Amino acid sequence: MTVDYIFDFLTSLLDGLIGSDYLLLLAMLIPCLAIFGFITVYALVVIYAELKVSSFIQDKVGPMGQGVGLHAGKWGLLQPVADALKLLLKEDIIPSSADKPLFILAPFMIFIGAFISFVAIPFGDSIIVADLNIGLFYILGVGSIAVLSLILAGWASNNKWSLYGGMRSAAQIVSYEIPAGLSLIVVIMLAGTLNMQDIITYQAGGLFSWIIFDNPFMPVAFVVYFISAIAETNRTPFDLPESESELVAGFATEYSGMRYAFFFLSEYANMFVVSAVAAAGFLGGWHSPIVGIMDSSAWGVFWMISKTGFLIFVMIWLRWTLPRLRVDQLMNVCWKVFLPLALINIFGVAIWTVVFNS
Amino acid sequence: MKRYFTDIYESVTSIVGGMGITLVHLFKARNDNVTLQYPEEKWPRPERNIGFDHSSYNVIRSRLHVDMDDCIGCLKCERACPVDCIKIETEKSPVRGEDLKEIKHKGVTSNGTRKALVVTRFDIDMSECCYCNLCTYPCPEECIFMTGGPNAKKHPIDYEFSEPDRSDLIYRFAKKGAKQGLAELNAKQDAEA
Amino acid sequence: MGVVHGQEMVLNIGPQHPATHGVLRLQVKTDGEVISEITPYLGYLHRCFEKHCENVSYEQVIPFTDRCDYLASMTMNFGYVVAMEQLMDIKVNDRVQYIRVIMAELQRIASHLLATGVFGLDLGAFTPFLHMLRDRERIIDLFEMTCGARLLYNYMWVGGLSHDLPKGFVEETLRFLDYFEPKVDEFENLLGHNKIFVERTADIGIMPAEVAINYGVTGPNLRASGIKWDLRKDDPYSVYDRLDFEVPIGLGVKGTVGDSWDRFYVRLQEIRQSINIVRQAIDKLPKDGDVHQSMPKKIRPPKGSIYSRTESPRGDLGYYIESDGSDTPYRLKMRSPAFTALGVLNEIAGGWLMSDVLAILGSLDIVLGEIDR
Repeated sequence: MTVDYIFDFLTSLLDGLIGSDYLLLLAMLIPCLAIFGFITVYALVVIYAELKVSSFIQDKVGPMGQGVGLHAGKWGLLQPVADALKLLLKEDIIPSSADKPLFILAPFMIFIGAFISFVAIPFGDSIIVADLNIGLFYILGVGSIAVLSLILAGWASNNKWSLYGGMRSAAQIVSYEIPAGLSLIVVIMLAGTLNMQDIITYQAGGLFSWIIFDNPFMPVAFVVYFISAIAETNRTPFDLPESESELVAGFATEYSGMRYAFFFLSEYANMFVVSAVAAAGFLGGWHSPIVGIMDSSAWGVFWMISKTGFLIFVMIWLRWTLPRLRVDQLMNVCWKVFLPLALINIFGVAIWTVVFNS
Repeated sequence: MKRYFTDIYESVTSIVGGMGITLVHLFKARNDNVTLQYPEEKWPRPERNIGFDHSSYNVIRSRLHVDMDDCIGCLKCERACPVDCIKIETEKSPVRGEDLKEIKHKGVTSNGTRKALVVTRFDIDMSECCYCNLCTYPCPEECIFMTGGPNAKKHPIDYEFSEPDRSDLIYRFAKKGAKQGLAELNAKQDAEA
Repeated sequence: MGVVHGQEMVLNIGPQHPATHGVLRLQVKTDGEVISEITPYLGYLHRCFEKHCENVSYEQVIPFTDRCDYLASMTMNFGYVVAMEQLMDIKVNDRVQYIRVIMAELQRIASHLLATGVFGLDLGAFTPFLHMLRDRERIIDLFEMTCGARLLYNYMWVGGLSHDLPKGFVEETLRFLDYFEPKVDEFENLLGHNKIFVERTADIGIMPAEVAINYGVTGPNLRASGIKWDLRKDDPYSVYDRLDFEVPIGLGVKGTVGDSWDRFYVRLQEIRQSINIVRQAIDKLPKDGDVHQSMPKKIRPPKGSIYSRTESPRGDLGYYIESDGSDTPYRLKMRSPAFTALGVLNEIAGGWLMSDVLAILGSLDIVLGEIDR
């Protein structure tokens, strides 16, 4: 489902009626809308999952209700919809002392960062918006836009708590990108490509062809990447930028209504992106764990989504289990534990490949 | 160096252990749950570990209620109240221990006490009440009580009495028109005399 | 480690802040994340408790003591009635005494549950907090069964109790304790030994015994500094001298004696000891005895004054009552344990990072209702 396919399809359908430039624009717009719709639906689902999983972990029942109306539907299924509606209808407040243009820009920028990462995520063997030859690199690159907008949000709010949150997130995200990137380098070394589809194709052939089981260093690389990814998405135990018991709400303190919803949405979208990269890079992407069983193209979407979904569940599970780290401990873990581990991994995998795979 | 590796080991084991505990809770959430789905369910739900059967309570501090037929106007509850939320006014009854049909006044309480006073005002401001239950103890006729629980025979439980206006939370227990009716009654008696 | 000094910034933590446990304002001087000086500002919850008591009769004071430390109302009642009974020289029977001990210890469990749970919440662990609230709910149900109220009990009266135990209370309490004991272990594993939690609390906010004594800190905070001082043992009131229990002290298992982790762990150990005390008290509870037996018809203490102290979950709770022989106290002063605990904050938390200061504040377990009164 690349843009080219849609363009070709549209050309065959509407050739001569509309100029090819417009058709190209249309062909680009359709996947954009599809991604936007996907993010929205996915956010609703994952918010509901987060509510319910956290409630069950805490021996509560979570959102419940018997019907529509005053209640949030059966089992509270409409709760995320109600939440979204509430955020949409809330008053939009911009503090008088805030830097207005930057204040308005920040939430959109963070959302764009999450949004354009979806372009290179493969959902199936042919379902990918743009099969870039530098797909993995692209995702890592545009993922860094988040840090810029968090600093912007923290600075533009003109609030001490927000500033703390912004500064913390800058230090945190920039640091954790290094172990995350280094662990993905191992994947690139094995697959020999930056193309997302090619990385997944490399892992064809059942459970034990997945990169995570390729050699003894890979599980470590996977764990390092996954934890760094949690830190990049600002979730507990690494949710220092918005740690509610210290910084009130961190960079989001002054945001309300729709702008706050964008921060929220992009956090969940980022969760999907990093989980999808982990699933594609380490867990075989859209491949079935057993060769020959449920490994058609359609099932590929299922496998990709369920692997990603499982990783998101683990993130939620971790969030409701662990306390939060302190700023300096966060840095210690990154620079003194993950970075050496990632470097040792690169070294080890290089030797392993030379010794066993050649 | 040893410290470095023991720290990593402890982190991994304790985090995995903690995740194990939360995973067990995830699948057994209903076991220890104490949530009350309020409008549909009402306390007590002993099978869900929420509250006990109403009959086993000593008292339930819900809403104050006064049984005016038994009130002799002794002002003991008014004096006992630490926040002065009870306001009582009484007037002398023209005939001690006799019913006054005109103002629906009962002359004798259910305990057999003959009333000398007519209570013309008995207001309890439930928005001021601190639910300390101190007013119910000194009452000689046991006519002021918290509704529900052991008092359910006298008055069913009532703890859902929120009102849109604060003044609606002032409960006026005295018989309507008692003051006026009593004045008319006294005037009539004076005229007869 | 080199430290770069920048410009200091004044930051107000509170009065509306999720981690200040009420309406407390901490004015802090910060240099980046490092906090150099903390000044607590009080009075946002001041309700003139002491002055108000001079205008109400002695039995009407009890509902107001409830509202001081609203997380441990039973022990607040307990302290007041013990003081009044000493002033009026009233001897109450054993059934009343044991019921009071059962209630006070259940209350101590409930209060410590909240203290340790909220401490976890301050560090970002949400789940243990709600597990603790779940178990506290059951204790509150037991209280509600007894006196009808869930938070502000007005249960212990001068010379007696407002109600005898309801039927089924003893069985329900024992059932609760059986259910609850494994949950304490689970809580300890889930939060107390978690490496992140240990890193956040061990060696943080160390309160040496000397500092604790100089500031008049009492209760679990003092015991965490390694000093065995518990009024239930050292100055027994009620029937505590007939019960067998231990006083846990901080041993510096994970770090130094008197750090935040010790304060957390002492509370956890006290929960275990309280379970033990409740079991013993239930065993020894006399079958008969009128709980209203020694209640004076009219509370009018003789002229004189009394200072009496009891062990509340937060420390030494003192009541000074001056009587002029009338119906109302001439003067009533309450010594608040949480107030002294807050006083030591600048001493032990200055120089730590922002996150640590709020963790130390959480570990001191203050209740603003009692501090401001």
